Amino acid sequence: MVSKESCLLCQIIEGKIASKKIYEDDLVLAVLDVNGANPGHCFVMPKNHHPILEQIPDFEVSRLFQTANRISSAIFENLGVQGTNLFVTNGVPAGQTVAHFMIHIIPRKENDGINLEWAPKQLTEEEMSTVELKIKEQAKNIGDFKTGEEEKVIKQPPPAPSQSSEDDDYFSKQLERIP
Amino acid sequence: MPQQQMSEEQVNALQEKIKNMSPEELKEFQKKQCIFCQIVSGKVQSRKVYEDDKTIAVLDINPANPGHILLLPKEHYSIMPQMSEDEISHMFMVTKSLSNVLLRGIGAQGTNIIATNGVAAGQRAQHFMIHIIPRMDKDNLDFTLPQHTISEKELDEVSKKLSKSLGGIKESASEAPPKFTLPEKKVVDAEFKEKPTEKQSESKGKKPEKKKLKSAEKTKKKAEKKENRESVDLDDIARILGAK
Repeated sequence: MVSKESCLLCQIIEGKIASKKIYEDDLVLAVLDVNGANPGHCFVMPKNHHPILEQIPDFEVSRLFQTANRISSAIFENLGVQGTNLFVTNGVPAGQTVAHFMIHIIPRKENDGINLEWAPKQLTEEEMSTVELKIKEQAKNIGDFKTGEEEKVIKQPPPAPSQSSEDDDYFSKQLERIP
Repeated sequence: MPQQQMSEEQVNALQEKIKNMSPEELKEFQKKQCIFCQIVSGKVQSRKVYEDDKTIAVLDINPANPGHILLLPKEHYSIMPQMSEDEISHMFMVTKSLSNVLLRGIGAQGTNIIATNGVAAGQRAQHFMIHIIPRMDKDNLDFTLPQHTISEKELDEVSKKLSKSLGGIKESASEAPPKFTLPEKKVVDAEFKEKPTEKQSESKGKKPEKKKLKSAEKTKKKAEKKENRESVDLDDIARILGAK
């Protein structure tokens, strides 16, 4: 775990940095993006520090996206928009800039200047088959989701930086390098 | 014969018919028109990479990148707010797993997860789906969101509306967590040719959360074990995250 001092979102969660909160419970916090794509643009984050999705326990993933969906509904009902996007950037090549997982929820209107589209890449049948096989092979192991209550006790207070394991040190060092 | 064109009268008649349909009939009607329901039922061929009782994942035939996955609920829903909390929970746990599959299986350096609700949000098909897109450095994709400085007044207005609608804010996280249930669902005004009207009405309440300390030790060990298993790939991703 990265030390809380070095993570912007952990500081927001702790209240050291002011934010416009719209929802908070024991696991997640949702705030408006002050530099958002538009006025209702917000993000929901886990209170525990997790850089990327794959590191988040299932029950937290579950709560995060259920909350994102509730926010999406609330945006539809209250902001008079025509659509919403849920958007996640996982890793720097995907556009992630903060080392704390978050889900963007973006209200949408026609011609609002937001573009989450792509030009389709042309793949040969063979290329498609190769990638299909690789994914299928790995996807065999999917299942056994941990949503039960006992799983919730995994939630431990993050260790103090001095007590962290080697892995944690590694993460801290790397993440501190984010400008 | 020229292309079969519906006269204005016929269009109106069809619209009238759709308007008078019960939610069940409308859902059935949409289902019949929906190509993704046919992919789910196997009537249309696809490159299926994962399937369980509630979801199916296929490769996008117009991929943003090789390995671009579409995760669909088997049930026909136009947009995400129509799904139950349980279904959403399941969909996104599968999403997390598939994202992990892309990192491990095809050497992606990151992933984007995109859900579109409504045509204005870029939705093309009338079947809700989650895009899971593998990302590599310099892959010619750009999903950068525009940034605007939003006035304090606007932020206050919006946060007031949304936080009220979401049930307010718990000041102290140590208090008993609120029951996590969906508010009464209302019809969402997403722009579709046929408006989705039916809603999953029931919202299943989550059981109150209690901490069971007695099994903490066991679970912790289990978690550590799990982390070890995942450490190689995830470290890589985190390192990339730290490198910039």
